[in-house]
Amino acid sequence: MCGRGVMAVLALLGAATAAADGNPYLKVDGAELPTVLPAGKQVAVTVRGFMLQRHPVTNAEFQAFVDTHPQWRPGAAAATFADTGYLGQWGAAGGNAPAIAAQPVTRVSWFAAEAYCEAQNARLPTWYEWELAAAANASQRDARGDPAWRQQILDWYARPAGAGLAAVEQAPANVYGLHDLHGLVWEWVQDFNSLLPADADPEQFCGSGAQNLQQKENYAVLMRVAMLGSLHATDTGHTLGFRCARDLP
Amino acid sequence: MRLLRALLLALPFVAAAQSTPAIPPDSVYQLSLRLTTQAGTAAGLDLQRGHPVLLSMFYGSCPAACPMLITGIKVYESHLDEAARARLRVLMVSFDAARDTPDKLQALARLHRVDAARWTFASAGDTDARKLAALLGVRYRRQPDGNFDHSLLITLLDADGRVLATTAKIVGDDAFLDKLRGATAAPPGK
Repeated sequence: MCGRGVMAVLALLGAATAAADGNPYLKVDGAELPTVLPAGKQVAVTVRGFMLQRHPVTNAEFQAFVDTHPQWRPGAAAATFADTGYLGQWGAAGGNAPAIAAQPVTRVSWFAAEAYCEAQNARLPTWYEWELAAAANASQRDARGDPAWRQQILDWYARPAGAGLAAVEQAPANVYGLHDLHGLVWEWVQDFNSLLPADADPEQFCGSGAQNLQQKENYAVLMRVAMLGSLHATDTGHTLGFRCARDLP
Repeated sequence: MRLLRALLLALPFVAAAQSTPAIPPDSVYQLSLRLTTQAGTAAGLDLQRGHPVLLSMFYGSCPAACPMLITGIKVYESHLDEAARARLRVLMVSFDAARDTPDKLQALARLHRVDAARWTFASAGDTDARKLAALLGVRYRRQPDGNFDHSLLITLLDADGRVLATTAKIVGDDAFLDKLRGATAAPPGK
């Protein structure tokens, strides 16, 4: 009964945010997440259920946002919010250029990603939320114990950076129906700047930091923590994108 | 209506342009926040615009590091002559708005015996605090017990909110002190 009403509201919300029609928010059930970043001395973190977009925000989706938020046009974003690489891949046709429209938008700073999500009545996922969603493969919710799965991710990390991007949703979805959490772009999270203890230096991460981590054999996660933890909020990168999250109704 | 909606959605990020000179594109005052001061009033980040500012983030229930931070700022201040100190403002922003109510902030200000004419203690909501921390480069994470694991950083802003210097050393950063002296020196011709 209550669920039906909620679904109706969600349908209305979906209709109101037209840009997200092709990138719906899918449910990720809450779970106990054994994590490489225990809060305090815990080994597992309780992650509440939430909703996450099916694929990383594309250039076309971001263009629709820029159309209604001109202060986020390339060249218009204040230096406070984005570095000079911001949306450097956009030419005259912007995010709708056929070659890139369906690719994940990159060269967006954390502030730009935050602004996009806020305009969607959404937010960036937290690190734990993203990890929970990304632990899944096509058949199970936590595939992190599968060496072949881990190796696949490491192989992607080892690919040369200039290889170029692909369109979203080319690879199969995971068990939540989510695409491209691996194999396409790195993704911003809400708390990227507090992934490590406050006194940890990201540059020395591989030394002292690693000893504090659980699941030390999961090098892919270590690399992700090192990469995200070294970013500044104004940074843009040509392999760094994002997708938005929402609380469950 | 569509334009109005777009403008309203744009407000959280863009400081309203009024009759005052435009905020420089590299100023932290580009970030529109809603702070609650120890007086219980709402204010933007730029509440002390027109003065050099020492800006830092903290939380009131912090057992040791934050009192040291506040003391450290007072020590940096104490190296200035009276006239220079009179030009300086200090803004302490708490990321623990739930506990750091205006009353609590007032009590902190009294406890640390700061110069109430120049120091402002304020709190920011979760989203705003996160944005400010990201902007300044402050790391913090709420722990399950309600305390925060966080880094210490003091940021020196010029009168228009541009970052002149930062320090993570709550005492003894001579280069930072030099910048502070420069920022609070008498304007030329006065």
